[in-house]
Amino acid sequence: MIFREVEDRDLITQARRGNVEAYNLLVSRWEKRVFNYILRLVGHREDALDLTQDVFLKAYQHLSKLDDVSRFAPWLYRIAHNEAYSLLRKNRPEGEMAFEPRSSEPGAKLFPIELSLAVESALNRLNPDQREAVVLKVYQGFKFEEMAEILSCPVSTVKSRLYTALDLLKETLAPVKAGEA
Amino acid sequence: MSCESIDLKEYFFGEASLEDRRLAEGHLSACGTCRDELSRLQLTQAALGSLRDEELPRRIAFVSDKVFEPRWYRRLWRSGPQLGFIGAGLLSCAILVHAFVQPAVPAAPMVTAVSDQAMIDRAVAERVEQAVVKAVADIEARQRKKTVEMLQAADRKHDLDRRATLEAISAQTSLIMRMQGRDYAVANNLTSGGQ
Repeated sequence: MIFREVEDRDLITQARRGNVEAYNLLVSRWEKRVFNYILRLVGHREDALDLTQDVFLKAYQHLSKLDDVSRFAPWLYRIAHNEAYSLLRKNRPEGEMAFEPRSSEPGAKLFPIELSLAVESALNRLNPDQREAVVLKVYQGFKFEEMAEILSCPVSTVKSRLYTALDLLKETLAPVKAGEA
Repeated sequence: MSCESIDLKEYFFGEASLEDRRLAEGHLSACGTCRDELSRLQLTQAALGSLRDEELPRRIAFVSDKVFEPRWYRRLWRSGPQLGFIGAGLLSCAILVHAFVQPAVPAAPMVTAVSDQAMIDRAVAERVEQAVVKAVADIEARQRKKTVEMLQAADRKHDLDRRATLEAISAQTSLIMRMQGRDYAVANNLTSGGQ
């Protein structure tokens, strides 16, 4: 992980000097994670792909504004967050969910694909802020402070959103997973 | 310690401080409710983990995207050999263009240039000739003056020499005459004394 950070830093430095290949390599490292992050926010593959493209384009254009290269990941996700929410605000009225939730039967024996669908459904029941908190913490592995930087809010707000989301998910998913076991 | 006094979710995500972690572990060892809660959190996380990351439908269009390519002048500026070749090419083109375009220019300016040059050459030749004539005249004048001075000096010297010679001759003549006079007197005395 340390070596990876050093390499990313070098790539960013070279990309700032106009080395496109260095930036290409940086993109290849982060594109899948950023795409999945956006996908779980907007719920549409083509939109997620377009937004991911936009994110890396904006990141390249504003790379010189990145003060601390070691903070590249939160900075990149901040751009992704803004892009995703910009689309959500444009497409949907405030508070409306991204997709229609699918129902699941707690305790029922599920196949892996069914479990995935149940998880997807449970995530979709969360409001966008809660869902994003879960995605950033559980799927992207950011620390609370990094999440606060990405979401531009206090750590206490991050915790509040995440804990509430976990309580909701726990009610739905823990029995499902326990039943599967 | 009460259940509310520990942040179980912070502990669960591994973000609790060392002290808080010890407190949570101490509490969990004694509280079945919190152990169950922790177990449910683990099940929830395991369920969430079943949702895998998706592969990108296609790679982010990057290398081929013109937006990401540096401007042509930046690429050119960064490439020394390329810059050199392009510079050489431009120079060759300039030479070729010059070679083909320059003869097409009307010859009048060249004639004018030639006549101008001839006038200049003539003017220069005249000035040079004048300068030479003047210099020769100056030299001749100086020579004449010097010759005159030398002749005058020679005359003066000749005159002095002649005077000196005449004085010497005169002195010697006087001496001879005095010596002859004395000899004559002696001879008369001898003659008169002997009779």
